[in-house]
Amino acid sequence: MSVSGYVKDRGGVYLLFGMAVGFLVLFMRLSGMQTTMICFSAGLPVLVMVGAEIWEYRRRSRFYRRVLRSLTELDRKYLLPELLETPDFCEGRLLCDVLRETDRSMYEHVAAYRNSAAEFREFIELWVHEIKLPVSSLLLMAHHDGTELNGKIREQLRRIDGYTDTVLYFARAENAEKDYLIKPVSLKRIVSDVAVRCREDLLLHGVGFRTEGLDLQVMTDGKWLAFMLGQLLANSLRYTAEGREAVITVSGEKAADRTVLHFRDNGIGIPPQDLPNIFARSFTGENGRIHAKSTGMGLYIVKNLCDRLGHGISVTSVQGEYTEFCITFADHDFYRF
Amino acid sequence: MNTICIVEDDEVLREELCTLVRNAGYAAEVLTDLAHPEQLFQVQADLILLDINLPGTNGELLLRELRRKTDIPVIMVTSRTSEVDEVLSMSYGADDYITKPYNPTILLLRISAVLKRTRRAEQRTAYRHLQVDPAKGSLTDGEQAWILTKNEMIIFQLLLDRQGEIVTRDALMTALWDNEEFVNDNALSVNVSRLRTKLAEAGCADAIETRKKQGYILL
Repeated sequence: MSVSGYVKDRGGVYLLFGMAVGFLVLFMRLSGMQTTMICFSAGLPVLVMVGAEIWEYRRRSRFYRRVLRSLTELDRKYLLPELLETPDFCEGRLLCDVLRETDRSMYEHVAAYRNSAAEFREFIELWVHEIKLPVSSLLLMAHHDGTELNGKIREQLRRIDGYTDTVLYFARAENAEKDYLIKPVSLKRIVSDVAVRCREDLLLHGVGFRTEGLDLQVMTDGKWLAFMLGQLLANSLRYTAEGREAVITVSGEKAADRTVLHFRDNGIGIPPQDLPNIFARSFTGENGRIHAKSTGMGLYIVKNLCDRLGHGISVTSVQGEYTEFCITFADHDFYRF
Repeated sequence: MNTICIVEDDEVLREELCTLVRNAGYAAEVLTDLAHPEQLFQVQADLILLDINLPGTNGELLLRELRRKTDIPVIMVTSRTSEVDEVLSMSYGADDYITKPYNPTILLLRISAVLKRTRRAEQRTAYRHLQVDPAKGSLTDGEQAWILTKNEMIIFQLLLDRQGEIVTRDALMTALWDNEEFVNDNALSVNVSRLRTKLAEAGCADAIETRKKQGYILL
């Protein structure tokens, strides 16, 4: 609150006061009072007025300055009313009441949404767990008699399972903080788990699988990492190149302060203009449109998970030659608590 | 014959699991009255497949109770996919952990691995006149030794464990992949034929028989 602003605001009062003092002076002059008496009688109220205004200005400006400072310092502006001290003038008190009231109403509103979102998420999780039962049963049924048709049925069942997993992880990604457990994990174990799980798909597509230098430990959540690798693998299977033996190579690399997991295929690659966007939500790109149905969610979720787990992810690709994803795990002591 | 006790509340899945373990040469026992999980503590089985999500109770709690009374091997089965469950289960003393929907062949491999580890199933170390040494990866007849590669050993062990039964290519493949040997169909055939050659050198020329479209039998 600036002085000029305050004075402008109080302009009407000053005008009326000035007029009243003017009339008073005029009246005293007409009634033949001495000049010193007039100065004294008119000067006193003016002094009192100026003093009162200075005092008033300072108490208000102190309050509003504090409000503004808190506002700029606050990360979440809506917490402002929590920090307000109730001032000793009525406009300020009114402002406080109004802010607190709107804040409360906003909280109620947000809480309602939060509840319904949480309920929905719980339902989705429950549903995913339930849908896994019939999928498991069907997989077992198809296993008991290993004909060719059952092989195909199993493949489709694994697809269903993969899609339900995406739903589950997406529902969870929102509040992943509660849901992950960071501990030392062997890259070798996770990668071979993923490979075993996807073995039939790999063989069906005639894609070779190689690993190199995976005897490394990283700090991560095993389940989420396995899920991410499963997504990358599903992508590689989708975009294999014609005319050469498809192969996926997963390798580990230990640097001074980090461990990098390379996931490389020799598929059709990604057009350079699509590269910067492949982690964006719902982005399908040229490959997604031409070669296979794509929801554009897989890599978005992978990127999202990496961010939440504190891993870096990057992609390099030459169209027609290869695509390589690198997941970087920091070796911070920060994790080792 | 080893007995597997199955604790699973979904009826269809339970039946399918029973069929799976019976086909694999185990006896299956089911616990249907889940209202009285105390029954679990009296089960006479060699291994328990325990579901985590059970109506009215929780597999992890059951496991903890169970561990106070017996050290029977337990494999936790669950549709949950959280690392926390796994860590909890293992800390309560589960021998292994597998999530739904599981690959049936892997489930069987895990069952047989746990049974071997806990010495409830005998580890076969002899075939005809040959001694099998998995640690050294060799077959010996007392005088001469034949060295098998890692892949050949994995294949031979699986065939030996189920001698006289058909072992599918799928099962062999799963076992190899489970041991980080990511081979394809051709490589599997090559490995089997090399194993045949070595067995023939060792005096067992007709040991492995091919059953078309089914798999292999060790005679």
